[in-house]
Amino acid sequence: MNEANARQKAKGKRQKLQVRNRCVSTVLLPFAFCLLPFALLLSGSRCLAQDARTIIEEVQKRNRTASQRYEGTLQVIDNKKITDKRWIYKRKGSFGESKSVLIFTAPAEVKGVALLIVNHPDRASDQWMWTPSLERERRIAFQDRSTRFFGTDFSFEDLEERDAGQSDFKLLGDDKLDGVDCWLIEARPKEAKQSQYTSVKLWVRKDHWMFMQAESYVKDTLARRMNYSDFAAVQGIWTARTLTILDARRGSRTIMRLEKLAYNEPMKDDDFTIQALRREGS
Amino acid sequence: MILLRLISWPYVRKHLLRTMLTTAGIVLGVGVLVGMRTANETVMGAFQHTVDKIAGATQLQISAGDTGFEEDVLERVQSVPGVRTASAVIEAVAATDLPGQGNLMILGVDMTGDRSLREYSFESGDEAVIDDPLVFLAQADSLMVTSEFAARNHLQTNSRVPLRTMEGPKQFTVRGIMKAGGMASAFGGNLAVMDVYAAQKVFGRGRRFDRIDLAVKDGYTVPQVRQAIQKAIGPGFTVEAPTDRGAQFESIVAAHRISINISSVFALLIGMFIIYNSFTIAVTQRRYEIGILRALGAGRGQIRTLFLMESFIEGVIGSAVGLALGMGLARGMMGQIGGLIESLYGLDQPGNGVLSADPWLLGASFAVGVLTSMFAALLPANEASRVNPVTALQKGKAQEISEKETRLRGWAAVIFGAVAAGCLVFGAYRFIFYFGFLLTILGALLLTPTIALGITRLLRPLLSRLRPVEGALAADSLIQAPRRTAATVAALMLSLTMVVGFGGVAGASYHSITKWMEIALNPDLVVATSDNLASRTYRFPASLGEAIRKLDGVRVVQDVSAPRIIFRGKPILLVAIDITSVQQNAPRRPVQGDETTMYREASAGRGIIAAENLAELQHLRLGEVVDLPTPAGVLHLPLVGIVEDYSDQQGTFLIDRTLYKRAWNDDTCSLFRVYTAKGVSPLEVRQKILDRFGGQSKLFVFTNQELRNYILKITDQWFGMSYAQIFVAIFVAILGIVNTLTVSITDRRRELGVLQAVGALRNQIRHTIWMEAVTVGLVGLLMGLGLGAIYLYYMLEVLRRDVAGLRLGYEFPVSIALALFPVILGAALLSALGPAEAAVRGSLVEALEYE
Repeated sequence: MNEANARQKAKGKRQKLQVRNRCVSTVLLPFAFCLLPFALLLSGSRCLAQDARTIIEEVQKRNRTASQRYEGTLQVIDNKKITDKRWIYKRKGSFGESKSVLIFTAPAEVKGVALLIVNHPDRASDQWMWTPSLERERRIAFQDRSTRFFGTDFSFEDLEERDAGQSDFKLLGDDKLDGVDCWLIEARPKEAKQSQYTSVKLWVRKDHWMFMQAESYVKDTLARRMNYSDFAAVQGIWTARTLTILDARRGSRTIMRLEKLAYNEPMKDDDFTIQALRREGS
Repeated sequence: MILLRLISWPYVRKHLLRTMLTTAGIVLGVGVLVGMRTANETVMGAFQHTVDKIAGATQLQISAGDTGFEEDVLERVQSVPGVRTASAVIEAVAATDLPGQGNLMILGVDMTGDRSLREYSFESGDEAVIDDPLVFLAQADSLMVTSEFAARNHLQTNSRVPLRTMEGPKQFTVRGIMKAGGMASAFGGNLAVMDVYAAQKVFGRGRRFDRIDLAVKDGYTVPQVRQAIQKAIGPGFTVEAPTDRGAQFESIVAAHRISINISSVFALLIGMFIIYNSFTIAVTQRRYEIGILRALGAGRGQIRTLFLMESFIEGVIGSAVGLALGMGLARGMMGQIGGLIESLYGLDQPGNGVLSADPWLLGASFAVGVLTSMFAALLPANEASRVNPVTALQKGKAQEISEKETRLRGWAAVIFGAVAAGCLVFGAYRFIFYFGFLLTILGALLLTPTIALGITRLLRPLLSRLRPVEGALAADSLIQAPRRTAATVAALMLSLTMVVGFGGVAGASYHSITKWMEIALNPDLVVATSDNLASRTYRFPASLGEAIRKLDGVRVVQDVSAPRIIFRGKPILLVAIDITSVQQNAPRRPVQGDETTMYREASAGRGIIAAENLAELQHLRLGEVVDLPTPAGVLHLPLVGIVEDYSDQQGTFLIDRTLYKRAWNDDTCSLFRVYTAKGVSPLEVRQKILDRFGGQSKLFVFTNQELRNYILKITDQWFGMSYAQIFVAIFVAILGIVNTLTVSITDRRRELGVLQAVGALRNQIRHTIWMEAVTVGLVGLLMGLGLGAIYLYYMLEVLRRDVAGLRLGYEFPVSIALALFPVILGAALLSALGPAEAAVRGSLVEALEYE
């Protein structure tokens, strides 16, 4: 665990070098499937919003792991129609230098469809999808990241980690959500073109330093709302095991439940390649 | 108005049939003009509509002809600043086995990004309830169809749709239904969407895309982004707005357009002569009335206006009916043009039967019809205005042509002829060439009275020998009224000139194509991806050629790629084939260049061979370095030979297949040319190919004879328009004879009455009229054939320089000319029967009172 933390700190230093001209440190949040809000683009300006940044850093610190694995269920509730899917998720590394693989296991029509995400500290992630029936991969273009992720209420952008240095944020104050005390923080991407969202409001619960809710806005209109629930300590790490995302424009919801969670298991780099997708997906 | 009501109206009522026949000239002229152009515009409009609907919000499209390009081009395009979204596209036409549904246009798109370009308007208004997008992408058999198509075939989500793919017949599953309207309205609803990567697989595209559609970011202009993309991907690609695709399509139908324009002008010209003749006769018949009017104080202007008003009304009525006729003609022709384009280019263009009538075209055609009518009546109207009461009583005088006029006409014709000949010398300039063409026709028209008179005089002894009295009377009647005779003959001559021209071009084309097929199309079998050889939807993997090569009884297999590429803005055919094999199995003598050098350089990939028509249309010279756009950049190849080739109307380049594979990075094949071993029946080999590969991939095997029949069928379709024009021309010719002879005989009722009064037998009168009619027909026919011979030369030149670049040998259509004799002379005789009977059976007193 300590070794993993040490490695992570070393990576953090490298990230700082890459974005050395910025006045903030690089703080990257794992993507939604890692239980944290959608590519929040969080960063902090020490000079302007010391408190907000400190909070985010603490959240990061408490969630930093060398790897993560879980089996998930996904339920899309759209106009009274409910579709269910299952998948296995694996991540190696944390924040901007992590790699993730998501492989659908059910229903049978989608079994083997996989998504590989390679995150970068200083730019948008690279994403590939593997389709077993065609036996080939396809690249998800950067410009398509705002589209919905396979009919769920997530967008492809919501799946990626972004450089926190690309955003400004500020503490809006304290708030209470479902009877839990929270800090309310607003994050705004510095380069609007890099994100579909204009701003994100984050509710961070004070007791576990966990995200409780996140609202993403396009201009002043609410686009998505993510709620975190079913909190539990897994291997000492507080984790929200149920995430509910609402697409405010469509009125549809996606509920994600995490099972068989495990952190810091040994994983090989070779498992996070297109060849691995081909191997595991077939 | 009073004069019109008191003078013109009773005359029209009395000669209703003639008025109708005269008006028919304008009806036909306007009808042909409107019909042909509307049909053309409708097919063009349907194409543009389809392009627009499918393009959606696309602002630019990137293509590299039919060859497609590697997938990495998409990433290069997506990384260009200013590109908001870029999506790969594959377009294919696939036959569906659903009863009566024909082909489906399949649009392969990447649904992750394409929705920002195209509005699919899913049936529920929401994609999620229709289908699961993940399942759609996960399953290669996913298909979205339009609600129209779904309703026609009782399809619902998860219904199965059979399609013929490159991998043989396959069942696809409906996983989405698009609402009517928008993109779904393209191709009459016969449109389906599938995942672009699935489309790659089932249509044999390998890892290539056909096209990229893109939209630009706010703050960038389309030209800016276009320039940036062109710079990023190189000059081998075409980056254009969706509307520009219409311009390419237009060049495909350009040949029709020119042909249509010439036909329309001729139709109107013929109509003009019919009107001119009718008015000339009307003026003659009404000289007495005109004389009285003049005596009562009517001014010359009033008389002229009276006749011009009559022609105006006739023009208005004729043009109005012509517009209606034109729309009817357009409906018939539209299918023909669409069918032709489909068979030539594998492009299905259902126009939904809805004609797109251009108000400007209708207005202009109407105006042209009215003006033509008034212009035709101008000379007779002037003639009428100069009538004085004294000469008005001297019948027949006005039909004469003075020596001075004859001399003037002769000189003018000589000058026109000389200038026309001069224009041929400087004919390299388009305007000069067409000016010479026009002068030739005008010269011939000026000489018509003189030549017609000469021929009639030559025929007089023959006619007298056949029937001493009747023959002489018939000949003299024509000789004494040269103006009337000349107008009839001119109308007939022009019609038959058209017949000879179109017939000659069709004949020469047939001859050349047949000759070319003998030399170039000699494989025993051709294996194609479609029963329509022009379809480029599917491609064979090169491995199939290898497998066919290994079959018993196969001697040689030539792998052929035949994509259409854009060369200097025009879609042309690129044939990539093993040139050495061509030299060994189907050697062609170059029309320009040395044969040995041509094959040596081309087979080594150091040169390119051009079809003669391409060289002509693009002004390519032997030795010139041709810049060929390829996805990898521009290929610079010297032109090492020019050969006779009729593979494509826009022209063809031949290059070695090895070079093609390297430059286009494409080893797929459009077809295979198979030569069987000596003593082995091609049918036997065909069966082997079908047995071995028919089940696993979509292929069609043609024997040599079937291939030739197919090409001749396309040629027939192509010239179907010409045949239609020939029939129209013959119809106009017959109409002209019927009209003018009816008028002419009616005009001479008094003369015929006098003949009867002095003892002429009824049969003699009949025979006189019959002989006169046949003589007019014969004179018109001879002159038509003469002018047609010249016209044919011009038509072949037009075809060479402006239409298809084809240098066809001059062949006078003797069989058509011979066939015209019984048709025209028979029509002349038939048209004389009615008036002749009316003349001999009518009241003698009434006849003597006529005029």
